[in-house]
Amino acid sequence: MKQDGLLYFTDTYLTAVGLLIFFLFFVGVVIWVNRKQGKTYYKRMEQIPLNDEELAYERI
Amino acid sequence: MNTSNSVIEKIFYDDDIVKKFTLATMIWAAAAFIFGLLAALQLAYWPMNANLEWITFGRLRPLHTNAAIFAFAGNAIFAGIYHSSQRLLKTRMFSDLLSKMHFWGWQLIILSAAITLPLGYSQAKEYAELEWPIDIAIAVVWVIFAINFFGTIRKRREKHMYVAIWFYIATIITVAVLHIVNSIEIPVGFMRSYPVYAGIQDALVQWWYGHNAVAFFLTTPFLGLMYYYVPKAANRPVYSYRLSIVHFWSLVFIYIWAGPHHLLYTSLPEWAQTLGMVFSIMLWAPSWGGMINGLLTLKGSWHLLRTEPLIKFFVAALTFYGMATFEGPLLSIKSVSALGHYTDWIIGHVHSGALGWNGFLTFGMIYYLVPKLWNTQLYSKKLLENHFWIGLTGVLLYYISMVTAGITQGLMWRAVNKDGTLMYPDFIETVVRIVPLYWVRALGGLLFIVGFALMCYNIYKTIKLAPKEQKAVAQEVVRSGYDEVSKESHRNLEGMGLTFSVLAFLAIAVGSVIEIYPTLSLHKYITPANIVDPYTPLELAGRSIYIKEGCYVCHSQQIRPIVSEVLRYGKASTIEESMYDHPFQWGSKRTGPDLSRLGKKYPNLWHLSHMMDPRAVTPKSIMPNYPWLAEKDTDFLVLRKDLSVMKTLGVPYGDEIVANADIHAQKQAKEIAADLEKNGGPKGLEKKEIVALIAYLQSLGQKGKAQ
Repeated sequence: MKQDGLLYFTDTYLTAVGLLIFFLFFVGVVIWVNRKQGKTYYKRMEQIPLNDEELAYERI
Repeated sequence: MNTSNSVIEKIFYDDDIVKKFTLATMIWAAAAFIFGLLAALQLAYWPMNANLEWITFGRLRPLHTNAAIFAFAGNAIFAGIYHSSQRLLKTRMFSDLLSKMHFWGWQLIILSAAITLPLGYSQAKEYAELEWPIDIAIAVVWVIFAINFFGTIRKRREKHMYVAIWFYIATIITVAVLHIVNSIEIPVGFMRSYPVYAGIQDALVQWWYGHNAVAFFLTTPFLGLMYYYVPKAANRPVYSYRLSIVHFWSLVFIYIWAGPHHLLYTSLPEWAQTLGMVFSIMLWAPSWGGMINGLLTLKGSWHLLRTEPLIKFFVAALTFYGMATFEGPLLSIKSVSALGHYTDWIIGHVHSGALGWNGFLTFGMIYYLVPKLWNTQLYSKKLLENHFWIGLTGVLLYYISMVTAGITQGLMWRAVNKDGTLMYPDFIETVVRIVPLYWVRALGGLLFIVGFALMCYNIYKTIKLAPKEQKAVAQEVVRSGYDEVSKESHRNLEGMGLTFSVLAFLAIAVGSVIEIYPTLSLHKYITPANIVDPYTPLELAGRSIYIKEGCYVCHSQQIRPIVSEVLRYGKASTIEESMYDHPFQWGSKRTGPDLSRLGKKYPNLWHLSHMMDPRAVTPKSIMPNYPWLAEKDTDFLVLRKDLSVMKTLGVPYGDEIVANADIHAQKQAKEIAADLEKNGGPKGLEKKEIVALIAYLQSLGQKGKAQ
């Protein structure tokens, strides 16, 4: 079992597939966060720290 | 903001704990910086070691690193987390008692480190030197912190967790995993233990831990603080919330794999090295995601640099973060590592991160926090401005001098003449060449401290002039986010602290398991013909002294398969040569030469002279004297316990040698002492530590069957 695991480290097909999976996952996340309906939600989220108490100083 | 569920509640934030952690940060910062300056001066001018065992470089350096990471950065993280989490989650901390236990527990741990490290109680694993009782205390206090933090998340009034909170969660979970796995050790006494891992296992686990201390103690928590304090200071939202999601997940997933880049060209199996290198290069992207997000938050607000100089600290911190996270992947490329590894380039790199990123971000945060916490104005913006420029000059001097020193020395080590001989065969030549740069580094460190002193004065005056009668102000908060019907899965994710934590854990577990698991079956990598003999009892005693004195801080025991290195030190190190080494002692810096094949190179008397006064045998050496080794007695009796623990860990000692370990050791000590005496050395050294150390040094590289 352990030996099998080690064998895979020299298997270029498997590492290529691994790379592909990671890359697609990353691309998926990027597409996912850029969906239209997220816009209002992110707008609200990014305001959270600014809503929590008096402002640091006056806006200029 | 959604306030349809708008029942206004009045709550009090616990700012007392934030004040405590802030002041502790300042106090321990002073300690960490002064230890660092002393260490820098010792390297430039060896008499600064003062012949005192407690402050000799080998013991001072771990004290400095632990103080900088766990005392200074640690307290800064806690101050920022306790302050920002309450506000982001709209609730007081879960338990005041747990907060207090966390604070005092952590300070006690730091205090015990400050006492035990100078006394030589060390596991000789970088940033994990603290011995087993303190390791247990760290785990307990960390769990207290975790309960307090997750309890706070549980009782929050803001359903959605802002990005800073995710970074805190990842920090708390991962640090716990790293600390526990790397600290599995078997005690052999009140303040001594052997790690269960040996050789390549120990190296891999140690650097999986060590590198991820950088990742999850010096990066993720500080990114969390950045995501809160930079928008607060600039009074504008983070540049891109989307980018923060992408770079958070990328960062926690990729960082955990990068550890083996500390072990390139060592005897660590090739696949693990390649894995570490590839992931380190990939890491550049998510790291820069954080930098870009931080810097661009100031887009349209750059004028604040004129009116609010504390923002300068944040801008500089983010810039240093960007530089350090570009340089890290660069240094992880094998051919670059071949030049940079073991040199001061790495020291420069780590300090651009520690001083520039962690230091400046913390200073910016403290300048922002203190006036708020004490309900006053900062005493002097001019002093702050001066702190910034003096500190920045210090960091730049430090960084430039060390990178120059590192590359110079790296090139000198590998320089080969036309006839294939080394151009600089004497190691000391390469040291003498860079000593002037050690002075520049010390000056840089001094300037950094001068800036810090200005800050201490500024903060002292700020607090002193603050209104004396401080009344806590009740905050009016409204529950929010609980009346929405979530359509987005990531929104759900943020709404569920536990699920989010489990996912973050999975992200770090994947890399950890795939990297570490295969090396647990060490025998798979061992060639039976190359198996070495274990150390004799006296050599093992000497090894404990080597560990205690922190020799690994300046000497490596790992020859890389690089032409110049093999010419200088002998054939490249093998897996088998460190297979019984608990802990491994490969080292990561060569202030002095590699010692893997030192055995039998010099007579015993040479070693004695060298340890008493290195300059007697190597003129211009910068190594400290170790006179106490000729005065202190070796503890022979403890060897029975030592050997039996080693046997438990799989080192092939017979029952007889374990039972009579002390007798065997004394016999060998007598032989060495007699040899010293015969060659004109002092009499009666057989009981002294120096003899045990000589036995160990003479055994290096001599344990193979083929020798």
